[in-house]
Amino acid sequence: MTIEVEQLSKSFSTGRAKRRTLVEAVRDISFSVEAGERLAYIGPNGAGKSTSIKMLTGILRPDSGAASVLGITPWTHRKQLARRIGTLFGQRSQLWFELTSLQSFRMLGAIFDMSDLQLATRVGELGELLDATEVFAMPVRNLSLGQRMRCELAACMLHEPEILFLDEPTIGLDLLGKQLFRDLVIRLNEERGTTILLTSHDVADIESVANRVIVINHGSVIYDDDVEVMRRSLFTTKRVEVGLERPVIVPEIAGAQLVEHTETVARFVVDTSKRSIRDVVDAILEHLPVADLSIVDPPLDEVIGAIYSQLAVE
Amino acid sequence: MQRTLAERGGFIVSTGFYLAVVAVVGSLWRAAADGKGGTIAGYGAASLFWYIAATEAATVSLNMRLIDDIGTDISGGAIASEMLRPVSLVAVRMASEFGRALPRLTTCTLAGAVMSWIIVGAPPGLVSAAMTVVALALAIGCNIAAQHAFAAIAFWIRDARSAWFLYQKLVFVLGGMLLPIEVLPGPLRLVARLLPFVSMAYIPGRFAAGHVEPLLLLQQVGWLVALLAIALRIFATGERRLQVVGG
Repeated sequence: MTIEVEQLSKSFSTGRAKRRTLVEAVRDISFSVEAGERLAYIGPNGAGKSTSIKMLTGILRPDSGAASVLGITPWTHRKQLARRIGTLFGQRSQLWFELTSLQSFRMLGAIFDMSDLQLATRVGELGELLDATEVFAMPVRNLSLGQRMRCELAACMLHEPEILFLDEPTIGLDLLGKQLFRDLVIRLNEERGTTILLTSHDVADIESVANRVIVINHGSVIYDDDVEVMRRSLFTTKRVEVGLERPVIVPEIAGAQLVEHTETVARFVVDTSKRSIRDVVDAILEHLPVADLSIVDPPLDEVIGAIYSQLAVE
Repeated sequence: MQRTLAERGGFIVSTGFYLAVVAVVGSLWRAAADGKGGTIAGYGAASLFWYIAATEAATVSLNMRLIDDIGTDISGGAIASEMLRPVSLVAVRMASEFGRALPRLTTCTLAGAVMSWIIVGAPPGLVSAAMTVVALALAIGCNIAAQHAFAAIAFWIRDARSAWFLYQKLVFVLGGMLLPIEVLPGPLRLVARLLPFVSMAYIPGRFAAGHVEPLLLLQQVGWLVALLAIALRIFATGERRLQVVGG
């Protein structure tokens, strides 16, 4: 096993002095990850995802429980583990903003004891893989978010880690940037066998990248299964938003439930297990004066709500 | 070092600011010495000017809000990404700050020396001038280590601004940044001599003023080792009790 977690718990104290209270961020979680897996580790804000990742990378020490990452206990041998893992926090940067990415890579190369030749070869490979050779030479502060995220990914891949921890890596990226990033992560996994542990609030990240999903809520694991299984049972809802060219009375569209209608917009919820999204879109295009149309995934909160409903039924 | 050179605007402004401060404070001390019959606490008017040029170079060359910046990184959680490197977090930070300070220190020392030479004449001695250069580098090292030790308070109270405010005042007065500690009243002078802050400003200033006292270099080396050990120890303890909630 690449990652093994057993009954890991972590609490934080909040408030001041006498009013100090303990908040359980992670409660008795257990799971394991095999080499080469692409695991989505998801949950709502405050569920304990980032805290789990910080324990698995050795930044935080748990209150109880055990974990082994590549055979190493992260919080007792953090520096040893750091040589074998890469971590990308979408809301934090590991690059130096005053420098170009290449200069940052040189500093990171020195920190990871890479020779000049090793570093140059690796930067060349990553530049090609991420289509970012020219971007590497630009000052980090001048990069767009999409460009910076490619450089961040290169920075955490520089020392050829065996596991990549990606904590909300697509946050703030536009649709194209997100898709490009997902493709890159899959390529890294397929070409190099890098194990991926991904957290995200974007259902599309999970559907595109992961082959297994763990859902965590209120600090506990509530779901652990293949993405295919989850897709069949939970990701069956899509939302279709239609911009209308003119005010119309919206007719009934089979397989689509009209949830909102104004003079300019009609919103539908489609259960794809009952009718394919393609058929629904064809029907909408046929019956409505469509100016614009978009299909979006349900928000993660809804997916987790569905998991709770399923658990309650079981 | 590359980070400082990349911030050319700030680099030029801080050098200009340094020259202005040395010109004003140095001239005030010269005037005060002239009014007191040519010397103050054993320092001549020209020596005092050279003293101020060295103490200001030792302090202005550093990021002046270092404690505050480190505290913000600790309390805001930015420090977490740095903990994912296979080296000592605090050692990398200190090395990085030393590298950032070196171009500023070199420029300020050269510019300050040229200005002092023009205004008050040649440095008081060649040996003491050479010792000043060594003492300035050690002063920067002591200052960086001490600021990391002070800033680590943010691991416990999540705010290092009070430590930054206190530290500034201590270097300002007890470190001899503004005035040689010989000018302080007896008990305060004794306290100043026993504290590490003299290593950060007074000692390079003392050499620049023409005094050849090699033991002062040893004192700086001793404080540098002690402050590095303290900073490393406090950070190691702090890292174990780090609380970073959320992404």
